[in-house]
Amino acid sequence: MTFTDWAILALRVLVPVLAVLSFVPLITWVERRGAGFIQDRPGPNRVGPFGLIQPVADGLKLFFKEDVIVHDADRFLYILAPGIALFTAMVTFAVIPYGPELTVAGRSIRLVGADVSIGVLYVFAITSLSVYGIVLAGWASNNKFSLMGGIRSSAQIISYELAMTTAAAGVLLATGSFQLTDVVAMQHGTWLGFLPKWNAISQFLGFVIFFTATFAETNRTPFDLAEAEAELVAGYHTEYSSMKFAMFYMAEYANIIVSSALTTTLYLGGWSLPGFTPRGLVGVLFSIAVFLAKTMALVWVFVWVRWTVPRFRFDQLLRLGWKIALPAALVNLLWAALLARWKVV
Amino acid sequence: MERLTFDLAGALAVLFAFVMVAQKHPVKSVLSLVVSFFGLAVCYVMLSAPFIAVIQVIVYAGAILVLFLFVLMLLNVPQETREKDPRPIQRWLGSTAIIVFAVVFVGVLARSGADIPPHAPFDRTAAADIPALARRFFSDYLFAFEAVSVLLLAAVVGAFLLAQKEKKP
Repeated sequence: MTFTDWAILALRVLVPVLAVLSFVPLITWVERRGAGFIQDRPGPNRVGPFGLIQPVADGLKLFFKEDVIVHDADRFLYILAPGIALFTAMVTFAVIPYGPELTVAGRSIRLVGADVSIGVLYVFAITSLSVYGIVLAGWASNNKFSLMGGIRSSAQIISYELAMTTAAAGVLLATGSFQLTDVVAMQHGTWLGFLPKWNAISQFLGFVIFFTATFAETNRTPFDLAEAEAELVAGYHTEYSSMKFAMFYMAEYANIIVSSALTTTLYLGGWSLPGFTPRGLVGVLFSIAVFLAKTMALVWVFVWVRWTVPRFRFDQLLRLGWKIALPAALVNLLWAALLARWKVV
Repeated sequence: MERLTFDLAGALAVLFAFVMVAQKHPVKSVLSLVVSFFGLAVCYVMLSAPFIAVIQVIVYAGAILVLFLFVLMLLNVPQETREKDPRPIQRWLGSTAIIVFAVVFVGVLARSGADIPPHAPFDRTAAADIPALARRFFSDYLFAFEAVSVLLLAAVVGAFLLAQKEKKP
């Protein structure tokens, strides 16, 4: 391997991780300004233009806070838990394609961290492991509120994982492959000349279920029963302070970005835009911009829902998951199978 | 390099399987098993079966062991304490059984060593081909596949029946 090959490899590994990390502060700003907008108040607007530097100030504040480790905590697991949470949030983006093929110095590079044949399954495997971060934080803190948060989160994530994977199975059935680049390629083009060939249109029910389930997987309101500050103080991260708390906080926002990017890829055509074929460097950059725009639109939905919809009760949450979302996802799977049989898609 | 990764992952799996048994705290036992399953998943990837590896992580590490943890935390199972009665007879019987098993195991391995081909013909692309795997499941092994699904359904119904509160006559 030459130096160029190594450089390309390093970039392919670094770009997805750094992209997620560098968008986290921006999303926290969007969330706080969005909350202000919805609640008819300004939100943070003092530090920098429009308060854009506020996340940096917050980060510095958290960095200089005292790092408390609870006396009766299980020390090893207590320190490990935020690491698991942040790690699983960061590595998921590795298989999501964020642009078309780019030709640089005679080499064509696919704009995706790792284009593996089991793409979607990799994402599900990592998200199913992310629950350990929360459960271990709850258990190792040795605090009843933290423990309740951890227990709730494990039941919640397992329940919604079923509905989520069953909904996504519809997309995989239509594609005939687990590879996410294939999923994007399948959604090029239009029906009847104007309707984009997105899975969100052919499998609307599956799209709604999948996106709802991602709210439960990321522990966001209305499904944030794991922290539920009204009943559990702060749930699983009650006992965490300083950078360890910041890691949970970053993991939450990284998860929002990754979930939005995954929903974009599976249901909204990824980086593709109907009637647009990327040509040259400008075309590639435009495709990345399209991908970012779609993802950011979904991130905004996360913010919008959080400040609009009240929290569910725990039994309501589980009932929604098992009695409504899962059967509906099975109906969607049947519908996807029929579409594939009739060769409509 | 591949061989080294495989060996390391296998050693990790065996080591943490041992930690799981030796560990006194049930929650930490479950966590050791998670690490052990991870080692197994890496072994599967090294054997060109990424699909099996991912299913292993999703189903076992991601779902079943989380349920184990859920139950352990809900019941708040405390750390095991050493038994006051050391039960000498069981200990002797157990140790003897382990030695006998080890001798038989090594003996069988040594005798059949020549029969195991050192490099079995192994098609790497076929192992990684998921559609081919699915086709075999739903044709050659259809009966076993359906039988397992019926068995699981029966287990679900049985668990539900046992968990139900008794109705007063």
